[in-house]
Amino acid sequence: MRIHLQVRPILAALHSHKAAVVLLVLEIALTMAVLGNLVFIVYGNIQRAHVPTGVAESGIGLIQSIGVIGQDNPGTAAGNIAVLRAVPGVADAAYGGPPLWFVQSNPVFVDPSRKQALAKVYEFQGSQGLVSTLGLRVIQGRAPARDELPVAENATKDTEVPVLATQALASRLFADGHALGKVIYDGGSNPMRIVGIVDHLRGGITGRADDDYALVAEFLLGNQNVGGGFMIRAGDPAHLPEVLAAAAAALQKANPGHVQSKLYTMAELRENYFRSDLAAGRMLVAIMLILLVVTALGVSGLASFWVQQRRRQIGMRRALGATRGDILHYFQVENFLIVSAGVLLGALFAYALNLFLMHRFELAHLPAHYLLVGALALWVLGQLAVLGPALRAAAVPPVVATRSV
Amino acid sequence: MFGYYLDLAWRSLKRSPILTGLMVLAIGLGIGASMTMLTVLHVMTDDPLPGRSAQLYTPHLDPLPLDHKRRGDGPDASDNLTWPDAMALLKAHRATRQAAMAGGSMLVRPARADVRPFDVDGRYTTADFFPMFGVPFLRGSAWGAADDAVGARVVVLAESLSRKLFGADDAVGRMVRLGEHDYRVVGVTRDWQPSPLFYADASAKRYSDGDRFFLPLSTAVDQKLDVNGNFSSWEKNDADSRMVSPTTSWLQFWVQLDTPPQVAAYRQYLVDYSAQQKALGRFQRPPANAKLYGLMGWLAHEDLVPNDVRLQLWLALGFLFVCMLNIVALLLAKFLRRSGEISVRRALGARRRDIFVQLGIESALIGVAGGALGLAIAQLGLWSIRQRPDDYARIAQMDVQMLFGTLALAIAASVLAGLLPAWRACRVAPALQLKTM
Repeated sequence: MRIHLQVRPILAALHSHKAAVVLLVLEIALTMAVLGNLVFIVYGNIQRAHVPTGVAESGIGLIQSIGVIGQDNPGTAAGNIAVLRAVPGVADAAYGGPPLWFVQSNPVFVDPSRKQALAKVYEFQGSQGLVSTLGLRVIQGRAPARDELPVAENATKDTEVPVLATQALASRLFADGHALGKVIYDGGSNPMRIVGIVDHLRGGITGRADDDYALVAEFLLGNQNVGGGFMIRAGDPAHLPEVLAAAAAALQKANPGHVQSKLYTMAELRENYFRSDLAAGRMLVAIMLILLVVTALGVSGLASFWVQQRRRQIGMRRALGATRGDILHYFQVENFLIVSAGVLLGALFAYALNLFLMHRFELAHLPAHYLLVGALALWVLGQLAVLGPALRAAAVPPVVATRSV
Repeated sequence: MFGYYLDLAWRSLKRSPILTGLMVLAIGLGIGASMTMLTVLHVMTDDPLPGRSAQLYTPHLDPLPLDHKRRGDGPDASDNLTWPDAMALLKAHRATRQAAMAGGSMLVRPARADVRPFDVDGRYTTADFFPMFGVPFLRGSAWGAADDAVGARVVVLAESLSRKLFGADDAVGRMVRLGEHDYRVVGVTRDWQPSPLFYADASAKRYSDGDRFFLPLSTAVDQKLDVNGNFSSWEKNDADSRMVSPTTSWLQFWVQLDTPPQVAAYRQYLVDYSAQQKALGRFQRPPANAKLYGLMGWLAHEDLVPNDVRLQLWLALGFLFVCMLNIVALLLAKFLRRSGEISVRRALGARRRDIFVQLGIESALIGVAGGALGLAIAQLGLWSIRQRPDDYARIAQMDVQMLFGTLALAIAASVLAGLLPAWRACRVAPALQLKTM
């Protein structure tokens, strides 16, 4: 009630400080615009960093083992897989790489002439056991049986390769929903027949729809000596680091001619993959916090100036019967009005900035609730910033009114 | 007068240390954030070969068929040259110097037993590469045109690789095993790494990659060595012959042209060459598609600055603007509070202009302090950028130019912020103020 009565005199008082008020409103509006968009960008990055790849991430480890030309090496691909599987704690193992590592990305076609590429697809290729090691969930059809796998040594240019496709890819290629049994092609010569559909498999996580376009092909590896990525899946994810180290040691023993350059758990791969985003995100958060601090300092600096300027008026009001609470509320309401004007203008600015960023940096549309959160944050910030000066104003004794300057 | 105003400004700033501190802090933070990102942009778009870049050009042909469409995010196939085109330009010898090149990676197998085999990045190129780019030799020299012609097994090593393989010994004349063959070392260069690595393919990390060895291009093609970079084919090619295929582009090509007439002549030569190839039926597109980019023009065309750096720069500048608004408001409060003092000076005969200059100097003083703080904050910001895993992180260092730029920007920003408050303050009516005093 009393607060309501105060609004008119406050507006009248602000009227005589137009320039300063306009500046403060502008500052709050700009802070709101930058803040809203920053929070949106950072939150988007964080969300992206938690998108699952569709594989059994917690249990998967990768051993990069590369043959050195000219060095004798008794290991074979099938032998290596058997060695890895024999390591205690290893539930499954295969030759091939996991998502977020170096996954090939190729265009795919549904016509053998390969004129019209329909999508860019992550292609996971590996040995027998790749599908079960990745822990993929086949939701339609089945994983290729061992006896239908193309034998790597005998495969020719025309050998048909049975593949698993992700659901997203299947519906992109065959809008009618009948992808099972269809033959598709990539840039290479072999036709690929879709024998099963898996729910999700993301080769990379960029936020685009084609992240989830993937094909998985197993080849039967035998006596050849191949180097590259070997994957294991630990039966108990809690023991993955020890199991991975043991598996790497076993693999090195079986392949004295290999150089093992890297060991990764899937969690480490994910961390590496998003490291740059997170570093940039940290910088944005820092800018955000500093921005808030600067705005708060500005608000409180101007408020203390006003308090100092109006000491006599405050004293008079106190002498005329205003309580300390009245004076306190006066400055709080004044701040609320200014911040509210800033927030309203800021919502417009935020949308304008968002449109500009969408245009230049392919950002998504800013949802309205970010603005609400931003407005709330600024109201709280404004009240906190004005609290000090307002308390000082409330502490002005009535006797000031009777003193000359 | 300047000294007096400076003294007045200093006294005035000392009188309200908290307010002054706030303003210095605000301008320091805004300048610090902006200069961090401006420095990153500056080093990313810097001239990689000062003194030589104006004479370096890269020719581009358009051998693609008419119906060829670039895949959305894929590389532009006509960014690179095919082997037959590169060899034709090389043999035509129309420029002062010319070289074809491609990135490569090889397994080095040291003779010393205590060093394990390791992979190293380098470049396959032709003899003119070294004098054209001014690669500094420590020992020995480049190979000659004769070595290019026969595909000789010679190699030039960078100092760091030479030291890793041979220690402090002179490597020239020694043999080094790369991949499956032995190569004779003919020269050792200083570790030389233009930033950005302008002559590398678009797939290279142009701010962190450098070349540790150089091999004759003809040798690499003879032995079908692995190439780091984009291979773009627009017709079916055997993996075996794609390096020399007329429908696969993978080579970078640079020429040195010393005078404007030479540049014009070379441009014409490229169009004529394209027209000739079109007449032969090899090219389908208009010969005028052939382009000659200058070094800096090529870097601009390649647009090396990633979007997130640009986005952060915009945000930082927006932040500086908010800080400036903040200072405008605070200065307004500060200057108007001194209406009394200003009125006395006016009554004593100071002109409006004098008041304006006095207040302007006070703003500038805040700018100097803010600039110094901004420098420190920018160093902190650049340090945090250097901790990033990005390819450009390592080069984020401030140079003298940016150092003075920081101070200048800070002073300009604070003087600009002081304009409105100073203007308002010098329009105070002295009579009215003096009466209420």
